[in-house]
Amino acid sequence: MTEPMRVVLVDDEAPARSLLREYLAAHPDVQVVAECANGFEAVKRIGEQAPDLVFLDIQMPKLDGFEVLELLEPAPAVIFCTAYDEYALQAFEVHAVDYLLKPFGRERLADALERARERRALAAARVAGPAAVAGTPSAGELANAARGPGRYAERIVVRDGAQVHVIPVERIEYVEAQDDYVAIHEQGGAAAKSHLKHQPLAELAESLDPARFVRVHRSYLLNVERIARIELLAKDQRVAVLADGRQLPVSRSGHDRLKELLG
Amino acid sequence: MHPLLARPARLLGVVILAALFGVPLAWVLHVLTPRPWPAALLFAVPMQVAFAFIALSAWWVCRRHSVLEGISGRAVSAQLVAALQASAIWAAIGAPWSVLLVRTVPGYDLSRLDILRDLGVILLAGVPLYLLSAVAHYLYLSIEASHAAQRRVLETEVTAREAELRALRAQLNPHFLFNSLNSINALVGTDPEGARRMCEGLGDFLRRTLALGARDSVTLGEELALVERYLGIEQVRFGDRLRVERAVDPQATACQVPPLLLQPLVENAIKHGIQDLLEGGAVRIEARVEGAQLRVVVENPVDPEAPSRRGEGVGLANVRRRLEVFGARDAHLSSVLAGEKFRVTLLLPAIAGAGGTRD
Repeated sequence: MTEPMRVVLVDDEAPARSLLREYLAAHPDVQVVAECANGFEAVKRIGEQAPDLVFLDIQMPKLDGFEVLELLEPAPAVIFCTAYDEYALQAFEVHAVDYLLKPFGRERLADALERARERRALAAARVAGPAAVAGTPSAGELANAARGPGRYAERIVVRDGAQVHVIPVERIEYVEAQDDYVAIHEQGGAAAKSHLKHQPLAELAESLDPARFVRVHRSYLLNVERIARIELLAKDQRVAVLADGRQLPVSRSGHDRLKELLG
Repeated sequence: MHPLLARPARLLGVVILAALFGVPLAWVLHVLTPRPWPAALLFAVPMQVAFAFIALSAWWVCRRHSVLEGISGRAVSAQLVAALQASAIWAAIGAPWSVLLVRTVPGYDLSRLDILRDLGVILLAGVPLYLLSAVAHYLYLSIEASHAAQRRVLETEVTAREAELRALRAQLNPHFLFNSLNSINALVGTDPEGARRMCEGLGDFLRRTLALGARDSVTLGEELALVERYLGIEQVRFGDRLRVERAVDPQATACQVPPLLLQPLVENAIKHGIQDLLEGGAVRIEARVEGAQLRVVVENPVDPEAPSRRGEGVGLANVRRRLEVFGARDAHLSSVLAGEKFRVTLLLPAIAGAGGTRD
C-alpha cells in the first residue's frame, strides 16, 4: 500500500493517547493526523481530516464515543479503546473494525490494525463510492440498534456546522418533521432554541421513550409533559395546547395514541 | 389457619390420636355405668374425635394470650374460661349423640339418669383435656418462636456478610484497575520512573484498602491517607483536569469512622463530576468536628448538560450500605445538587480514636 493510513486518536486521558502513539510508531504505514481529548474536538477534527481510521474511547466528557460516531457522516472506520467490556456488543452493531480492552499490548493493536488494512483494501476494491452501497444503515439507525431494545436516548446530539449541541431529552418540547430533517424545539418560551438535524422523524421517535414522547401527528412528536390540554376544534380535528400556549395539530391516530398513554 | 388443619396427613393423625383417647373415656363410662364394651366405645370414640376439633381452638386462644414473656393472670383466666366453654360445647354435642344412639342402636340401653351421668363425666373431663391441649399448643408456639428467632439471626448475619462482600467488591472497581494498568503501560515507554512510581502507588493503595477493610473501625486520618494514594493514581490519568482542595481540621483526623467510606465518595466525585467536564475541576474534601459531630464533605463540579442522574448512584448506595453493615445508626449521609456543584455530606458521631493503631 502506497497511501499511508491516516488515523485520529480520541481519548480524554493523555497517557492513553501517548501509548497509542508509541505503539503506532512501529507501523510506518500509519500516520497520526490528529489527537483529540474529547468528543467535541473529535467531531470537528475527524470532519476536517476524513481519516482512514479512528481510535475511539467510549467514556468521554460531553459526547461519548457512540455519539461522536452518530454525528459523523460518512462514519469513519473505528477501533474502540476502552476499559469497559460491556459495550462490545454495541461496538459490533456500529460495525467497528475492532474493540480493544485496556490495557492492551502491541500485538493486540497490530492485529486490530491488520483488520483495518484488510477492510480498507476491500473498500478500495469496491470501486463504488461509499454512498452507493445499497442498504447501508444510517448513523441514527446504528445508534438505535446499538442502544438495544427497551433503552432510550437520554440526550440528542445535533451537529450545526462546526458546533455540536447536546440536548437532554427532558428539555425537548416537541420535534417537527421538515422534509429530510427534523426541527428539535427546546423548552424556554420566546427565547427557545430549535435545532435542525438530518434524520427522519420516525427514526428519532424510535430512539425516544414512547412513554414520554408521542407522535401526535405525522409531522409532530410531542413531549407529553409539556401538554397543557387537548382542544376539540371541530369533529375529528384536535389541537394540543402546550404550556406556553403554542398549538400543535393532533391527528386521529395521534389522539388514539395519547389516550392510550394518558388513559 | 391452624397448622394441623393445613395438611390432610396431619389432620388424619389428629383423628387417630383422638380416637385412641376414646378408649380410656369408654373405660371410665363403663366403670361408672356398666354397659357392653362396644356400646361404650361407640359413644366415646366419636365424642373424642369431636373434642379434638374443639380443643384445636386453643391455638387461637394461645396465640392471643402469649406466655413467651411469662405467664400472666390474664392468660390463665382466658384459658380457664375457654376450657369451660369447650367442655360445655362438648357436653352439648354429647346429649343429642347419646339420645340418637339409644334410639337407633339395638342393645344400647341407657336410662335418662345414665345419660346425665355420662354428660357429667364429659363436662368434668372436658376441662383438663382442653388445658392439656392448651399446654401442647404453648409448647408448639414457643418452639416455633425460637426457630423463627434463630432464622432471623441467621438472616441478618447473611445480609450483613453480603453487604460487606458487595462493598468490598465495589471498593476495588475493576475499571479503575484496568485504566490504571493502561496508564502504567503508557508510562513504561515514555517515563519508566513514573511507571515504577505508579506501580508502587497502586500496590500501596490496594494493600491499604485490604488492610482497612479488614477492620471494624479506623481513623479518618487513615481514610484520608488512602484517599491520597487513590488521588495520586487518578492524577496520572487525568493530569491537569483533576485538582484537589483540602480543608481538613487536625482534630477531625483522630476521629473513629467505619473503614472505606471516604475513598468511594472521592471516586464518585471523579467519575460523575471531573470525568464529564472538558476542563475538569476541583474535588473539595472537608472534614471538621462540630460539637459532638464529625462532618465530612466531598464536593465536585458537575456538567449541567450531562443527563440528570436518577437516584443517587451505585457509589453512594454502597457507602450507605457500609454504614448499615457497621451499624452506624447515628450516621447521616446526604447529597445535594446545588447549581453546578454536587455535594455529599457525611455526619458521624465524633469519637476520638486511639491513634488508629488498634487492629
